[in-house]
Amino acid sequence: MKKYFQKSTSAAPLAVFRIALGLLLFASIIRFWAKGWIHQLYIEPKYFFPFFGFEFVTSPGDYIYFFFALCGLSAFLFAIGFFYRIASITLFLSFTFIEMIDKSTYLNHYYFVSMVCLIMIFLPAHVYFSVDAYRNRSLAFEKIPQWCVDAIKLFVCLIYLFAGLAKVNSEWLLNAQPLRIWLPSKNDLPLIGSLFNYVWVAYVFSWLGCLYDLSIPFLLLNRATRIFAYGGVIIFHVLTAILFPIGMFPYIMIATALVFFSPDVHTKLLKKIASLLGKSNQLVFSDNRYEYNPISKSLLVSFFSVFFLFQILMPFRYLAYPGELFWTEEGYRFSWRVMLMEKYGQAQFMVKDKDGKYAAIDNREFLTPLQEKMMATQPDMILQYAHILRDHYSALGWVAPEVYVDSYVAMNGRLGKPLIDPLTDLAKEEDSFRHKPWILPLNNEIKGF
Amino acid sequence: MVLLEKGKSILTFILVVVLSSCGGSDEPTPVDDDSKDREAILVHWADNIIKPSYANFNSKLEMMGSKADDFTDSPTNTSLIEFRSAWLSAYTEWQKVEMFEFGPADRYTLRNFFNIYPADVNGIIANINDPAANLEVPASYARQGFPALDYLINGTGIDDAAILAYYTTDTDAAKRLAYVDKVVSRMETLLSNVVTEWNGAYRDTFVASTGLDIGSSMGAVVNAYVLYYERYIRSGKIGIPAGIIGTMVGTPYPEKVEAYYKRDISKSLVKTAHQAVIDFFNGKSINGGTEGPSLKSYLDGLGAKDATTGTLLSTLINNQFSTINDKVDELSSDFYNQIQTNNQAMVDVYTNMQTEVRYLKVDMTSAMSITITYTDNDGD
Repeated sequence: MKKYFQKSTSAAPLAVFRIALGLLLFASIIRFWAKGWIHQLYIEPKYFFPFFGFEFVTSPGDYIYFFFALCGLSAFLFAIGFFYRIASITLFLSFTFIEMIDKSTYLNHYYFVSMVCLIMIFLPAHVYFSVDAYRNRSLAFEKIPQWCVDAIKLFVCLIYLFAGLAKVNSEWLLNAQPLRIWLPSKNDLPLIGSLFNYVWVAYVFSWLGCLYDLSIPFLLLNRATRIFAYGGVIIFHVLTAILFPIGMFPYIMIATALVFFSPDVHTKLLKKIASLLGKSNQLVFSDNRYEYNPISKSLLVSFFSVFFLFQILMPFRYLAYPGELFWTEEGYRFSWRVMLMEKYGQAQFMVKDKDGKYAAIDNREFLTPLQEKMMATQPDMILQYAHILRDHYSALGWVAPEVYVDSYVAMNGRLGKPLIDPLTDLAKEEDSFRHKPWILPLNNEIKGF
Repeated sequence: MVLLEKGKSILTFILVVVLSSCGGSDEPTPVDDDSKDREAILVHWADNIIKPSYANFNSKLEMMGSKADDFTDSPTNTSLIEFRSAWLSAYTEWQKVEMFEFGPADRYTLRNFFNIYPADVNGIIANINDPAANLEVPASYARQGFPALDYLINGTGIDDAAILAYYTTDTDAAKRLAYVDKVVSRMETLLSNVVTEWNGAYRDTFVASTGLDIGSSMGAVVNAYVLYYERYIRSGKIGIPAGIIGTMVGTPYPEKVEAYYKRDISKSLVKTAHQAVIDFFNGKSINGGTEGPSLKSYLDGLGAKDATTGTLLSTLINNQFSTINDKVDELSSDFYNQIQTNNQAMVDVYTNMQTEVRYLKVDMTSAMSITITYTDNDGD
């Protein structure tokens, strides 16, 4: 074991990863701003849905632009490796803060970005091909501990494997859901569009997608299959970019998969960039290796142990809850369950109080269309919204308001049915990690993960 | 050797799973792939339903305009009766285009100017006294269109003689006639704008947009269709007057029925609107009555159904439409009276319409992969 931690590798792959990730994140922030989503998602809403235990995180109103600017700036500095430690910490904190404001904006790939930025704080990605190393030669190293690059590879492998495992269920494999619903909506694409009218194509895509996720880590790790695997990475992610509205994620994954290539590939790439910048002679090649100081070393071991343990356990926490995961969504987020459901619902809320006052809620008066859409299918958000209503009407002078919901949810082609017990007063229910007994059962078994 | 045995059994397992899924135990009979051709649906909608509907309405509106002219030129008992008859005919025909609030109608917010009720009587009177009154602003919605005409020709006196006096002998008679002209000509102008676009370049733009994303034709149509059913038929024509909010019954507002002043046509108006909604779902051509590519054929092509019973979603939707029609038939033609004598019958209609709203807004849109939101952002 100790021998492994003493192994060294070139710093080039980590440097390339840093540059690619930083630039893509910078571009993402610009894109987000250009599409007006900062205002639409963080300033327009009257209410937000914070994560459990993080209710203190709230949108700073117009100042959210400052946080986005900070995030974008730190992404850029991160990319070029200027004041790397501060940039990487700021990038992680600002990005994660933004994502923690509202559950409605949760996306698995934002979670991925947060986690990878967290890891990068602790890795020596700035010792090579960075402004920091350029300005201060004592910071420049061509060699770093191998585990630093392996940590990234391990994380990526875990994500793919869990994403693949998440697809091993009867919905995805036996019913080709939800691709069977989504693919026909793209049947007007040139060349391949008409294929999507056939159900067997949905089955092929489902099975290939699952096999891709489960096999790609091994194919990328294995030198003999690497080039072929990377071709697969490009094809797979470009296809998802064409078929689904998932933003920058495909490109981030295509760039991330580069980390599996040997150091030579990365060194050549950096040499090319260096010559374009006219700085070829500045590249360092030596056997000097970046070393962590002893205190850092032990802290790092603890940190990464906890980190990977967390990553391995989180996707399985759903086993602690009864009922169908896709229906109750208890333990669904933060587990790399990507694009597994076509789930849509409508939630009609009613508030009444002891004095006989009564209101049927028009959700549009409280929530944005996106928030309403997300809330209507996720019980924890339904509960949060119920509390928003309870508190709103309390403030209006209603006496001990009760909140009930008449919900109707369709999932993966099933006819809609109620998700929540319409007789439970949600105003009295409290959120916790325990199972929510007022979620009605699906009464339909989904086998697998 | 053990490994080989294990490998064989895993392979066998995989093959069995693959073959059994290919057997497709839940596959319906093979469907015609053309049923998922959205362009065909858009073409059928544009050429065989939407444009002919507008053409029919246009001619009824023109007739109403002509009778309005006759009346305002010379208000007599005869011209009043003829004007009213043409108004009724146009109002009924309007019910067949009211749901098309997308494209040009959406841009001109046609429905807001044609049929927002109850009429704002004080506002109408104020506008009569102010010839420069602005009919473009939201505050003016209830002061124009069919509801305003309803008040003007049916509600300005206890009988036709009194109504006539309002337009002949009363001091403000001339101003009132001028307002009738103003309201009618505005309706004609607005409709003409919409019809011109449909008969012009818009039709091709409409059928070319074959995606399902925000802003696509089918996305816009389905969103408008569902919204219309939920908010304008279910709530507007039935729920609000019956005092139903959410799923509970509160205080009814019988004066908020459609065509409150004419009083005896609320039922026929909602029947016409409802039938138009049904016919649109089934792709029924206006001229000829044959069914073409439609929401129904699209849903059937997707195999959308209730997995527990095997019933097609389109069948569930049509059956529910039929149930609602039966319930509406049980109502009096005078909703104002219906609400005051037996509101429960209105509530029954509403409850059934609510079931239909859920089929359309949740089951249908989910099966078609259409989003009912106006937010475009990344989804995971």
